[in-house]
Amino acid sequence: MAVSFYLKAAGCLLIIAGTSGWGSWMAANYQNRIKLLEQLRQMVLLLKGQILYANAPLQEGFETVGRRTDGPLADLFSQVAGRIEQQQGETFCQIWKEEVGNLEKEAALSRADRQSLAALGEHLGFLDKDMQERNLLLYLEELDMAIEELRAHKQERCRLYTSLGVMGGLFLTVLLL
Amino acid sequence: MDKRDELIKIFSKDIRTALKRVPVDFSQVQEIRLRVHAPLLLVYNNREYYITPEGNLGRQAKETYLVTRKELKETLEYISSYSLYAFEEELKQGFITIQGGHRVGLAGKVVLDGSGIRGMKFISFINVRLSHQVRGCADGVLPFLYENREILHTLVISPPRCGKTTLLRDIIRQVSNGTGPEKGMAVGVVDERSEIAACYQGVPQNELGIRTDILDCCPKAQGMMMLIRTMSPQVIAVDEIGSREDMEAIEHVMNCGCKLIATVHGNSLEDIRHKPVLGRLLKEKWFGRYIVLNNRGRIGNISQIYDSLGNGLYPAGGDRHGR
Repeated sequence: MAVSFYLKAAGCLLIIAGTSGWGSWMAANYQNRIKLLEQLRQMVLLLKGQILYANAPLQEGFETVGRRTDGPLADLFSQVAGRIEQQQGETFCQIWKEEVGNLEKEAALSRADRQSLAALGEHLGFLDKDMQERNLLLYLEELDMAIEELRAHKQERCRLYTSLGVMGGLFLTVLLL
Repeated sequence: MDKRDELIKIFSKDIRTALKRVPVDFSQVQEIRLRVHAPLLLVYNNREYYITPEGNLGRQAKETYLVTRKELKETLEYISSYSLYAFEEELKQGFITIQGGHRVGLAGKVVLDGSGIRGMKFISFINVRLSHQVRGCADGVLPFLYENREILHTLVISPPRCGKTTLLRDIIRQVSNGTGPEKGMAVGVVDERSEIAACYQGVPQNELGIRTDILDCCPKAQGMMMLIRTMSPQVIAVDEIGSREDMEAIEHVMNCGCKLIATVHGNSLEDIRHKPVLGRLLKEKWFGRYIVLNNRGRIGNISQIYDSLGNGLYPAGGDRHGR
């Protein structure tokens, strides 16, 4: 009788710990997503500087920015620079989309973030410097909006994920008991 | 990566396949020409050849590889590394210099605005001119460039495709390193078109000597002044002088105690005498040596070397008054 009680209690605790962990992970993921988008914003700004003021071709721009930063986005920029250099006979858009597709699954970007990042490659390199600037500014605007929205809901979302984790665990425990 | 692999990367996929099989030594190839709906041509050892889709060389137009508009567009993407925007200034002048110092000439529809040429679109003609580094090609001329152990102001006169940049490059290298009894000197190079040093991200791909400083992609006139102010060179070297600003800068260089080595397009000393500003420098005997090149027999063939008075110094051939 006592053994069964202890087993049940341990099970309940494990469930609650598990769901709470999931809640905390979701909250951390949300914060990481903001950080990653902010880093991306910084990198796109640097790329814009490279293109407009250093007159760098895309390969040099991506390589320089990739070297100055770290994390999965830095890897993305460096990989793209490497593939441009290899010139295997693909279009830039192909290279960019493939490399965005290869971005680590763990990178805390949503599907929408990835789609809009992939779309950035469709018009890069096309026409003159003004066009590059406009493309990058357009993307920066999108990024700003996404970051602003995420920041505005940061507290409530993080609290929601954490509480949902704990409450969900409690609810499951009650159900199972 | 050998020269062929390095170079064919700039062509569209199908042209690459053909060029990969072409049975020639790419270190001897001078030009590869692409024209829309016209045969793919290769100039090798001063002779022009058609290229077949299988990568064979032919002397007749039949069964030749015809270049399409799509292939030209694709080639242009690779030439510019998908970044044509970064070559706006070069496009205005009608060429792009690629890795390795090879010059890609472009022609198409010129876009104008109020201040002149803005760019180019519908680029339908591409001429890839291969740059070659021939160490030692200046051995024959160097003894003539010194007088009383001092180097003289030198002008290399040559028609296009006769190897003047190749000769200039080797003169720079040897003057910089020192040759025989002559000590090495600090040489400043203004490489407006990245052809002499072929700098890639600031690093010279061609050997220009241990005492050489290079201003890459810099307009010649401004570059010469900058070098004098900042790098205290003993010798300044520039390729293809011609504009009025260049001449003013040259006078400045010569009056600063620096020696100048320059090249110019022309067939003979007479041609240069008729140029508006350069002609005056010639009459006033600013230059100590004139090297006239031709491509009779081989590229970089020296027609004659003249002193400041126009006397021929070179033993083999040449005449007193130029051609």
